[in-house]
Amino acid sequence: MKINPRYYPAIIIATYVIFLLLGILLGFGPERGGEGHENSALIQVAFETLESLK
Amino acid sequence: MSAAVREKSFSLAKSRRTIQWIVVFGTFVLGLRHIMPGEASRGGSFDSFCAFGGIETLLPYLSTGHLLKSTNLLNFSVLIATLGVALVAGRAFCGWLCGLGAIQDFIAEWTREFFGERRHIRGKQSKTILPLRLPAVVDRSLRYAKYLVLVIILFASLYAAFPPLREFCPVRAVFSLKMTSLLWLTLGIFLAGSILVERFWCKYFCPLGATLAIFNKISPVRLVTDTNHCNNCGRCDIECSMGIADVPINLDHPECVRCMECLNTCARDGSLTIQIRNKENVT
Repeated sequence: MKINPRYYPAIIIATYVIFLLLGILLGFGPERGGEGHENSALIQVAFETLESLK
Repeated sequence: MSAAVREKSFSLAKSRRTIQWIVVFGTFVLGLRHIMPGEASRGGSFDSFCAFGGIETLLPYLSTGHLLKSTNLLNFSVLIATLGVALVAGRAFCGWLCGLGAIQDFIAEWTREFFGERRHIRGKQSKTILPLRLPAVVDRSLRYAKYLVLVIILFASLYAAFPPLREFCPVRAVFSLKMTSLLWLTLGIFLAGSILVERFWCKYFCPLGATLAIFNKISPVRLVTDTNHCNNCGRCDIECSMGIADVPINLDHPECVRCMECLNTCARDGSLTIQIRNKENVT
């Protein structure tokens, strides 16, 4: 399927924004107040799943 | 305005240049913001907005559960966004959204102007002495260096406290405004290299480019050549900032940054088109 070149920049920018938001929604968001961090929600779920399997 | 006139007035090159200026301006603002007091309250250091920072800190995070210093979880979001673009459109991030790629494009343009090119004519070989095109053998060999840089950084990240590229990172050297002697040296090499060779860093040393290269082969949004229309005039080869030879038959080349300058330059309507990959147009 052909894509009109005028939509190409919009496709790239939209993809970038969607995946960035997806990353933030998965818990990889900006942290405030120093270097310390907590695991993301996704990693937390993965760890808990692993724990429950043991 | 008729559809045909509207179509002609649209320039993909101008759109790209506008986006590149916005990216460069935004990255400078980010750098400026991080030399102000209270950096810790601003969502992390300058490094935490870097896609490659996500790659650098990924292995330590998976193996120990801790991030490298100066990175944070936001790096993973930026990395996911960059990989998302790569999944959809190959190395389009390098050609459209990378601040460093934009700076190199600007430097190449300014260099040609400095050496006497008054007006760039698309598809016509520039007569200026710089930027150079390195001999094919040297060029091809040097391009493998970025994969070596990637492997070294991934290995070093397992033993490092800070991201291994941090002290030599040209993005920090150009944008972060927090300079060290090593970053000044990096900036000097980067500027000299970009004046000598177009997209010097992307071609030879960028480890993020090395990571994204594989996606050119699998991304669904791609350029396709219609061999019935293309007459192999070579205009696209001349215009390719990544120096890819025989562009019409190398549209999925790992070095292609999907800048679409070939499409802009093509004089034969329908020779190059942007398409979504399907069984029929897979080459």
